[in-house]
Amino acid sequence: MTPMKWFLSFLKKYRWLMILGLCMTTVVSVLSVVNPYLSGQIVDKVIEGQNYDLLFPMIGCLLLVTVVMGILRFLFQVVLETASQGVLYDMRDKVYRKLLEEDFAFYNKKRTGDLMSRQTGDMDAIRHFVAYVIYVVYQSVLMFIFALIMIFTVNTKLALAMVLVLPFTAFTTYLQSKEVHPAFKRNRDCFSSLNAFVQENVSGNRVVRAFSKEDYEMEKFGVENDKFRAAQVDASKIWMKYVPVFEVLSYVLNIILMLYGGYMVIKGEITLGQMVTVNGYLWMLNNPLRQAGWLVNDISNFATSVEKIYNTYMEEPNVKTPVSGGVKKQLQGGVEFKNVSYRADDEDIIIDVNFKVEPGQTVGIIGSTGSGKSTIMNLLCRFYDTTDGEVLVDGINVRDMDLYNLRDNIGMAMQDVFLFSDTIEGNIAYGRPDCSFEEVKKAAIMADANHFISSLPEGYDTIVGERGVGLSGGQKQRISLARALLKDPSILILDDTTSAVDMETESYIQSQLKKIQKECTIFIIAYRISSIKDADLILVMDNGRIIEQGTHEQLVRAGGYYATAFKNQYGEIPQEILERKGEI
Amino acid sequence: MARNRYDMDEVLEDSFDFGQLKRLAGYIFPYKKRMAAIIALMLTSSALTMAIPIFLQSIMDKSIPERDMKSIWIYSGLTLLIALYSGFALRMKIKTMSVIGQNIVHDIRRDIFKHLQELPFSYYDDRPHGKIQVRVVNYVNSLSDLLSNGIINTFTDLCNLIFILVFMFVLDVRLTLVCLCGLPILGLVIVFIKKRQRRAWQIQSNKQSNLNAYIAESINGIRVTQSFVREQENTGIFNKLSANYRKSWMRAVTYNFTMGPSVDIISTLTTAFIYVLGVKMILAPEMTLTVGVLVAFTAYIGRFWAPINTLAGFYNSLLTAISYLERIFETIDEPVKVKDVPDAIPMPPVKGEVEFRHVTFGYEPGQKILDDISFTAKEGETYAIVGPTGAGKTTIVNLISRFYNVDSGEILIDGMDISKVTLHSLRTQMGIMMQDSFIFSGTIMDNIRYGNRDATDEEVIRAAKTVCAHDFIMEMEQGYETEVNERGSRLSAGQRQLISFARALLADPKILILDEATSSIDTETEIVLQKGLDELLQGRTSFIIAHRLSTIKNADCIMYVDKGGILEKGNHEELLEKKGEYYNLYMSQYDFLRG
Repeated sequence: MTPMKWFLSFLKKYRWLMILGLCMTTVVSVLSVVNPYLSGQIVDKVIEGQNYDLLFPMIGCLLLVTVVMGILRFLFQVVLETASQGVLYDMRDKVYRKLLEEDFAFYNKKRTGDLMSRQTGDMDAIRHFVAYVIYVVYQSVLMFIFALIMIFTVNTKLALAMVLVLPFTAFTTYLQSKEVHPAFKRNRDCFSSLNAFVQENVSGNRVVRAFSKEDYEMEKFGVENDKFRAAQVDASKIWMKYVPVFEVLSYVLNIILMLYGGYMVIKGEITLGQMVTVNGYLWMLNNPLRQAGWLVNDISNFATSVEKIYNTYMEEPNVKTPVSGGVKKQLQGGVEFKNVSYRADDEDIIIDVNFKVEPGQTVGIIGSTGSGKSTIMNLLCRFYDTTDGEVLVDGINVRDMDLYNLRDNIGMAMQDVFLFSDTIEGNIAYGRPDCSFEEVKKAAIMADANHFISSLPEGYDTIVGERGVGLSGGQKQRISLARALLKDPSILILDDTTSAVDMETESYIQSQLKKIQKECTIFIIAYRISSIKDADLILVMDNGRIIEQGTHEQLVRAGGYYATAFKNQYGEIPQEILERKGEI
Repeated sequence: MARNRYDMDEVLEDSFDFGQLKRLAGYIFPYKKRMAAIIALMLTSSALTMAIPIFLQSIMDKSIPERDMKSIWIYSGLTLLIALYSGFALRMKIKTMSVIGQNIVHDIRRDIFKHLQELPFSYYDDRPHGKIQVRVVNYVNSLSDLLSNGIINTFTDLCNLIFILVFMFVLDVRLTLVCLCGLPILGLVIVFIKKRQRRAWQIQSNKQSNLNAYIAESINGIRVTQSFVREQENTGIFNKLSANYRKSWMRAVTYNFTMGPSVDIISTLTTAFIYVLGVKMILAPEMTLTVGVLVAFTAYIGRFWAPINTLAGFYNSLLTAISYLERIFETIDEPVKVKDVPDAIPMPPVKGEVEFRHVTFGYEPGQKILDDISFTAKEGETYAIVGPTGAGKTTIVNLISRFYNVDSGEILIDGMDISKVTLHSLRTQMGIMMQDSFIFSGTIMDNIRYGNRDATDEEVIRAAKTVCAHDFIMEMEQGYETEVNERGSRLSAGQRQLISFARALLADPKILILDEATSSIDTETEIVLQKGLDELLQGRTSFIIAHRLSTIKNADCIMYVDKGGILEKGNHEELLEKKGEYYNLYMSQYDFLRG
C-alpha cells in the first residue's frame, strides 16, 4: 500500500459527503458565472438599453442567485469540513490504536515529541487538504475547462492559442512540486524536532532549574527555533520562484487575446463581439492559473504529512498476539524460563537464564545495577521477545498466548513510577476503571497509601501532576503498588517498588502482601535483602546471568555474592538485635 | 488553583483585550519599513494591472477599427511588462513577508519559551505537560499564516479600498454613500456573531490542548498502559477527546463560514439598491445622473466589495488567532514567583555553611509542610535527613536551592540570605541529584556534561568513574557516544541514577544535594561509590536523603524529620543512644531477621 492509497481508504467512508460537497461546489461555480452575466445584462439592457421594466425581475434574479449561492457555499464548506473532520477522527483513532500496540523496542527509538507531531501538525495538513484544497482545485479545474469550452465554441483557433499556456503550466507545476516536496519534508522534520525539544524541556524542567541551565536551554532552543525558521524560509524561497511564474502565465492569456484576437478581428476571422465574449471568460482562466502555485504547495505539504503519518503507522510491532489467535485463559501463576537469552542493539542483556516457579511462590531477584533484573520481568510480560529460549507461563509459551490475556493476569509496579494527571483514585483504578471506591481504598490500605492519601485535603480526588509530581518518591511508589494490587493478578511483579519507602512501611507492606487471598506468584526485585529474604526462591543476577539461586539460608551459607551483600547491608548487627533475637 | 488534568478546560485568567493586539503589533513594528515597501510595491502592481482592461478597451475601440496592428503590439508589450512587474512584486512579497512572518513567529516563540524557563516547578506541576507544549509549538505556529500573508494582504486591500472609494466619490457622492450603507449592516452581522465566534474558538483551543495533553501522556505512560491492558479504555478516552475536538472545531469554523456569504449577500443587496436608485435618478425629471456615470459606477461596486471580502477573511483568521494569542500571552504574563529581587547580587563563591532560621513553608496557602525549622550545617559537613515518606525531606532540600520561596523565616548560605542573591549564581554552585533522574535525549556524554558545559571528555569520564558508571557505559556498543532517548529507555533505573549522579558531581558544587541518589543502586556498587564519594565530599557541604540507613550512618549529623519539624538531631551514635525515632527506624531494619 502506498501512503496515498492509505489516505484514500479513509476518505472512502466519506465519499458521499465529498460528492455532495463537490456537487454543491459545481452549482456554486455555475452560479458564480451567472451573476456577472446578470449584472452585465442589467447594465446593457436595462440601463443602457433603457428597458426599465426588466429592472426589478432581473434584480430579483440577481438577489435570488446570490442568496442561493451564499447558502450553498456555506453548506458545502460545512459538508466538506465535516468529511475532513471525519477523516481526521478516523485517522487519529487508527494511529492512536497503533501507538498503543507498538512494542517497547519502538518506543526506545522514538522521541515523544516526534510521535506527537504525527497526531497534531501533520493531521492539520490533511484537514486543510480535504476541507479546502480539494474543492478549490476542483473548482479551478472546472472553471478553467468550462471557460475553455466556451472559448472553443467561439473560435477553435483562438482557443487553441490559449491552450498554449497549458504545457508551460504543467511543466512549472511539475518542477515546483518536485522541488518543494523535499523542502516540506525538511520543514516537517524541523517542526518535529522543535516539538520534541520543547517536550523534553518541559518534562525535564526540574533538572534544568536544578542546574540553572536556563541559558543553555535557551541556546539549544534558539538552534531549533532558528532551524525551523530557516526551513520555512527555504521552502518559501522555492515557491517564491514558481508562484510568480503562474502569475505571469495568467497575464499571457490577456496578451494572446490582445494580439491574436485583435489580429483575427482585423482579418475578419472573428467579430469584435466574439472577442468581447472571450474577454468575458478570461477571468475564469486567469484565476485558476494564478492559484496554481499555491495549490501545488498545499498538495505537496499534504502529501508530505500523509507520508510521515503513514510511515509511523506502518511500523509493525514485533511483539503481538499470534495471527492464529493466542491462548486465552485464567492463569495459575506458574512461571518457567528455559534457556532464555535476549539481545538488543548488539548487546547481550540476558544470557541463558533458567528458573522455575510454582504458582503462589514468591521470588526475589537481586543483583547489581543494570544486570538485567527488570528485563527478565519485561520478558515475562512479553514487552520484549526473547532472542533464544522460551518463557513459559503455566506451561504455555508466552508467544502463543493472547497478549492482552497474558498482561491482564500480571500486575506490575514498575521501578520508574509513571502516574497520570488524574485523581489518585483514577490512578489506582487504572487497571480496573469500573471498580468500586471500596476496592480502591482496600488496595491503598494494603499498599500503606490510604493514610497519606486521606490526609490530603481532597483525599482520593486529589489530582496528581503528570509523573506524579507533587508527591514524594515513596508516595508515588505506594500508589503504583496499590494500582498493581487492585488488578488482583495471578502474577504480581514489584520492581524495586519499596526503594523510596522507609523500613517500617516496607515491612508493613510485606505483611500485607502475605494476606493476599488469592494464590498469587510474586516477583520482588529489590536491593535491600530485607525485601526478599523470605522469598521461596531468590535469583541473584549479574551481567545478564543468574549467578546464584536458592533460599536466603542456602545463599547465605553458600557464601557468594548474596552472602556478601547480606554482610554489607547488615554486617554489623547491633548487639541488642542479637540479644533480642535470642529472646525469640 | 487546583491542578489541571487532560480532560479539563483551562480557565482563561485574563481574557483578550486590544492591549494584547497592541502587543502583537509590538512584534510586527520593527519590520514596519520593509512592510511598507512591500505594500507600496503591491499597490503599484495592482494599480498597473488595472491598466490592462483599459488597454484592451482601447484595442477594441481604436486599434481594431483602424486595423492598427502596431498599436496592438505596443499594448501587448506593455501588458507583458506589467505582468513581469506584478510577478516581480509577488516574488518580493513572498520573499520579504515569509521572512518577516517567520521572524515574528520565531520571536514570539522565543519569548514564551524564555519565560517558561523562569517559571517555577509549580507551574509545571499544575498542568499536563502537553498543554504547555501546545502553546509553544502549535499555537504559535497557527499565527504564521496570519503574519506572513494576512497583514500585508489586509494593508494592500485597505489601500485598494481607499483608492476605489476616492474614485467612487469623484464619480457620484450620493451613490457612494448608499454603497457605504452596506458596511454598517456587515458590522451588525459581525457584532451579532462575534461573541459566539470568539467563545467557539476559545473552546476549540482548549479542546486542542486537551487532546494534545492526552497524546503526550499516552506516549509517556505507554509502559503502564500496556502492562495494565488499558488500551481499549484509553482509546475510548482518546476518541472522546478527539470527538470533542472535532465538535468544537466544526462549531467554530461554522461561524467563520457565515462570513463570506454574508458579505456576498450584503454586497449584492447594496448593488441592487444602487441599480434601483440609479435608474430612478436617471428617470427623475431633474436628470441628476447620467447613464454613463451609473454604468461606470456599477463597475466600481464589484471592486469595492472584493477587498472587503478578503478583509472579512482576515477578520476570521484574526479571531481564530486571538484565541491562541491570548493563551500565548497568558503564559508570557504568568507571574514568576521565584525570581531575582531587583537589587540581587551574585552569590560570592560559596564556602558551604547553610543555615535555616525559623523556616515555615507550605505548597498551598495555609498548609505547613515545614513549621518553624532551624538548623545550621557547617562548612564541609554531611547532613543526612531521614523520616517517613512525605515528611518534608525533599522540601527542605528544595528550599536550599530556592526552588520555592519560604513563607516565613530565612535560609542563609555563608550568612547571606539566599533570597537576596541571583538564582543563577546560587544554583550553579550547587549540585542536585533528584529523586527522578531525568535523562535528555542525546549521548550519555552530553547527559553527564549537562552539569558543566565546559567539562572536557576526561572530566566527564572521571565523574562517571567516581560514581561507578564508567564500566557499564563502556560495555555499551558506543560507550559514551551511545544515544539514549528522553525516557532514558535502554538504561535501567539504577544506571540512570548513576548518570544523573555523575552529572551533579561534574558541576563541582560546593553544596551537594543527594535526594535518594542511590535508591535504585545495588549495595555493592554503593559501597564502592561511597568510597569515591568520601574523598569527593571533602570540603563540600552535603545533604543526603536516603532510606537505606547504611548510606547515611557516617554523616556528621542526622536529622529526623516528621510532622513539619526536626524531631531529633545528632550523629548516628548519639541518636541511637537517645532511643527515639531514629533508634526505632534503625532497629526496624533488622525486624526481618526475627521473622
